[in-house]
Amino acid sequence: MDIETQRKWDAASRTLDFMSFAEDRRIGPHKRRLFSKMRGATLMVAAGTGNDFKFFPPNMNVAAIDISPKMLERAGRKAASYSGTIDLREMDVCNLGFPDASFDTVATAFTFCSVPKPVAGLSELRRVLKPDGQLLMIEHVRSAIGPIGIFMDLMTPLTSRLGPSLNRDTVGNVQKAGFRLRRVENVYLDVVKIIEAVPKGE
Amino acid sequence: MLFTIGDYVAGMLIGVATTLAVRGIISPGMDMVIAMLIGMALGTVVHLLVGLVLAPMVGMFETMVPGSLIGMYGGMLFGMRDSMSAGSLTLASALIVGAIFGAIVVGGIKVYNRILQGAVFEASN
Repeated sequence: MDIETQRKWDAASRTLDFMSFAEDRRIGPHKRRLFSKMRGATLMVAAGTGNDFKFFPPNMNVAAIDISPKMLERAGRKAASYSGTIDLREMDVCNLGFPDASFDTVATAFTFCSVPKPVAGLSELRRVLKPDGQLLMIEHVRSAIGPIGIFMDLMTPLTSRLGPSLNRDTVGNVQKAGFRLRRVENVYLDVVKIIEAVPKGE
Repeated sequence: MLFTIGDYVAGMLIGVATTLAVRGIISPGMDMVIAMLIGMALGTVVHLLVGLVLAPMVGMFETMVPGSLIGMYGGMLFGMRDSMSAGSLTLASALIVGAIFGAIVVGGIKVYNRILQGAVFEASN
């Protein structure tokens, strides 16, 4: 377990709902559209305080993990009001306690900006996905727009101390981890993206 | 609609706050290059502070991305202007220019966002 990351997100759990109040309303419809593609046994990575549960299709059986026990405490209340089943577990995405090929769908929302070893984490997701499974992600990434990208590079040493890194190449990392891209969509500029991928065949 | 108004208000506030910070520090006659660098640094700090306050109401990305451009570039431009005493001699006129600059940047980002939005890759099978 990455204790440093756990402590950072335990601390952030106090303000996450407040800070994401508007973003939930603006990005929420895109999350709902993406998560409507969930099927079968589903893993939600970095459930946070459970803000995204309301965007899940009804009556799903979801395993939801987070590295932060404080986040999970808050997520428990939201999980209880979901129409399906949400099984919350404290777990590091880089060391998942699930057997190979356990899930039909793995979903993430603004997660891989915060995983210290993103390719290792994504490789774990590939391991627990069934060969015909799917990865559904909505993530913020480094912008290719010159001044915005440079600004993200400059700010990352500061932001990564308190929360996420701003300059991740998550689309590239997904491919490095053994996935084949199915669809990539810009949601806000080229900063917030929907990424859909499937495990690459052996 | 409310969020759109909020985006413009946030941009204008960051423009105004950057103007105030730059005018408070840059004095006429200061070396223009130094003034631009100081303006850029001030604008960056100001946008982070104002952005953090506004982000829960308007949205983190929609505040911070335009705010970074307003702070960095606005700070540079305002610093250059104030070191040369070129235009906007009163604080009121400088604040109006700051607000207009913020609104224009937000408008530009909105147009660019519309151009970029949508699928950029779809596998054929």
